[in-house]
Amino acid sequence: MQELATLSAVDFTEVFSVHAGAIYQSDSENCWYIDFAGKLARFDYRNLLKLKKAVYQIDIEGLLLSSEKAPDLEIIFICACDHCYVLSLVQIIALKELLAGTFVMLELNHIIHDRLHRIVA
Amino acid sequence: MKDIIRAKCLISSDVEALINQQIKKEAHSSSIYLSMASWCNRNGYDFSSEYFFKQAEEERMHQLKFFKYVLDMGGNAVSPEISNIKGEYNSFREVFEEALEQEISVTQSIKNIAARCHKEQDYVTLEFLNWFFREQREEEYKARRALELFDVIGEEGTGRWQIDKHVGDIKYDSEA
Repeated sequence: MQELATLSAVDFTEVFSVHAGAIYQSDSENCWYIDFAGKLARFDYRNLLKLKKAVYQIDIEGLLLSSEKAPDLEIIFICACDHCYVLSLVQIIALKELLAGTFVMLELNHIIHDRLHRIVA
Repeated sequence: MKDIIRAKCLISSDVEALINQQIKKEAHSSSIYLSMASWCNRNGYDFSSEYFFKQAEEERMHQLKFFKYVLDMGGNAVSPEISNIKGEYNSFREVFEEALEQEISVTQSIKNIAARCHKEQDYVTLEFLNWFFREQREEEYKARRALELFDVIGEEGTGRWQIDKHVGDIKYDSEA
């Protein structure tokens, strides 16, 4: 009989989403799941920061203005991380927007934690 | 939702980036001093050469202090690339003028980190920086005093020889 893999109780919290994808946080695993470009990839703290750095380093304006014949594809490869992205320019812009929003939300979450639980009023 | 980022790292990414810039600055300083030590040695100013060797070591020590702080707080310390180190100077005096300029630039840069820490209420890093402010008082004093020697002794006759001899004796021992 065919066995169906079932997902154990997932404790995903959506951090931020855009039309092209979303980022979820897993409190039990202390990591984030990025649903983007047709796959769900797990990123821990170090790798999420490395991904942000890699995406922010891409010169979007330069690529837009470039008249070279080369396809506008960028490979985002992160050292010591299982995932890699091959993205078009439009996808890069969307991923950058997704990451920017995510970090704003994480900062907001930090402020809320401070105000509600950490700072004695 | 857990505050994972704060649990992993005490300093903000902005402060981390500023300290990494400072690490590079200290490494650059150390290399400049080494270059000055070389120039002084080649031109017969042995005491000054020794003085700059010591300065180079101190700057390296400062660099490592910043480096370890970033790592201890859970951040990412970046080993810097150093290039464009000047190897020749026009005069003995010019070496010390540039040394003072270098120290002023380091002090200003640390002040800039402190300003950012104030803005973020990062009192932990501020407290860490206090040690460096104390150190910069000494560094600037020594650099300024060395330049003063050029004025009070004068470069004529055996002046430069005298200046070189006294550079090694410069000390800062303020209790304040």
